[in-house]
Amino acid sequence: MKSVLKIALGIIAALGGFLDIGDIVFTTQAGALYRYDLLWAVVLGVVGIAIYAEMCGRVAAVTGRPVFDVIRMRMGFGLGLVALVASTFVNVLTVAAELGGLAIVLQLLFDAEYSLFVVLATVGLVIVVALLPFGGIERVFGYCGLLMLVFIATAIHQGPDWGEVAHGFVPSLSDSKLYLYFVVGVFAAALMPYEVHFYSSGAVEEGWDESNLRENRLNAIVGYALGGILACSLIVVSGFLFHPVGVDPTDLGTAALPAQGAFGETGLLLALGGILFCVGGAAIDSSFAASYNLAQFLGWEWGRYRGPKKAPRFTVSWLVFLALAVMIALSGINPVEITEYSVVLAVVALPLTYFPILMIAGDRSFMREHANGMVSTTLGWLYFAVIVVLALAAIPLLLMTNGGGG
Amino acid sequence: MRDEGEIFVVHRLLDEQILDSDGKRCGRVDDIELRGSPPRITAVLVGEALYPRRLPKRLRHLARRLAGPERWGANALRVPWEEFDEIGATLRLRRKAEELGLGEGDDPERWMVRRLPWN
Repeated sequence: MKSVLKIALGIIAALGGFLDIGDIVFTTQAGALYRYDLLWAVVLGVVGIAIYAEMCGRVAAVTGRPVFDVIRMRMGFGLGLVALVASTFVNVLTVAAELGGLAIVLQLLFDAEYSLFVVLATVGLVIVVALLPFGGIERVFGYCGLLMLVFIATAIHQGPDWGEVAHGFVPSLSDSKLYLYFVVGVFAAALMPYEVHFYSSGAVEEGWDESNLRENRLNAIVGYALGGILACSLIVVSGFLFHPVGVDPTDLGTAALPAQGAFGETGLLLALGGILFCVGGAAIDSSFAASYNLAQFLGWEWGRYRGPKKAPRFTVSWLVFLALAVMIALSGINPVEITEYSVVLAVVALPLTYFPILMIAGDRSFMREHANGMVSTTLGWLYFAVIVVLALAAIPLLLMTNGGGG
Repeated sequence: MRDEGEIFVVHRLLDEQILDSDGKRCGRVDDIELRGSPPRITAVLVGEALYPRRLPKRLRHLARRLAGPERWGANALRVPWEEFDEIGATLRLRRKAEELGLGEGDDPERWMVRRLPWN
């Protein structure tokens, strides 16, 4: 019973932490531009992250190996280095996007300069990481991120034509390049690899073994399904409110407005609070993912639980990645643009990390009876094909649409 | 090595994480030394100086310039095969990393991390 409760709490925390700046930016814009038409792309992405996370969690539990340990083993030094460099670049960009997002939300709540808030947000996160024990941090951000549930309440309150909403779950393509760009963006935002790399490293740190496989499967299926509902509600509320009037929400603050429309000042504060905790949690996860990847690839000692004295290179690299991200966030590039680049480039880098995981998850010499069965193998390869197609389409679409600018 | 059985050297040994007798992570198998005929594994090589030669030929020259031994010192260690205890799920040493000079990069004195507030 106790373990059921623990799993449930874990899933709730994961639900609160599912959304990040990429989801918020892409779903709000997708709703405004295409109303409910892109809901299916959320589902496609959520199933993808569930498959990837389930495999990574299972590999971590059975072999004790996190993602970049596997990448170094299976791809060797040269090709693995390509995966590491690409992932690290995307991770740092993601951290910059999350820090920029934090600063924008803080600007809406308190009146001061954007750059001041970037620095304050970063210092705040370092203090939180320094002072709170790690399980605690995840839970605080996860539970507070549940404020995002206000978007589901908003969707119900708005009372959209549910038939039309349901129709959005039927996949549809068009020859509009901007539409295809948003298919890639909404998909990729749901399938941000740093979340999975962070998850698999956390599983190794917590000493997962075969007894955690059920928890792993529940996390992947239930956790991401619930997270997907939240992402869908962002599309629905934005589509309901912004699409008819043709608002183009290029500002992050616009994402919170539907909650204000439905529940007034309280709704707005709940929404901004939810965004703050989701994005703050994501900044921590993505920055640690960067250090995890580097340390695992090079064979350094790593781990949040070990602390800086036992894992100094890991800790120092974390501070360096954070500093790089601050510089990008302060470079004057619009944070919404940084977000779009981080999300679209993440899917470009994804095949390089997904493939070795798919290989090892199916390798009986490592996984024994827990290797991919028929269903996992089929789904795993199917999604590898989907990811490769989207990765190949991503950069041309990014360039042709001028970064979604049309 | 306790076990004299067969292993797939590239599949199982090259690039593997090395743990010391305390379970501390202290580098990866960056290269493998074979001697004799028929060849037998005599040592495992570890260190940043080995990275350039793990890259494709065209990139090696550039990598040496950026991160090669000339710039960073010839940081490569030879760990005799006898120092390893088991190659099962993990690759473990019989001794502590410090005794073999491994994992020196994770010496906290090098990084001033003692001054960080969350120690």
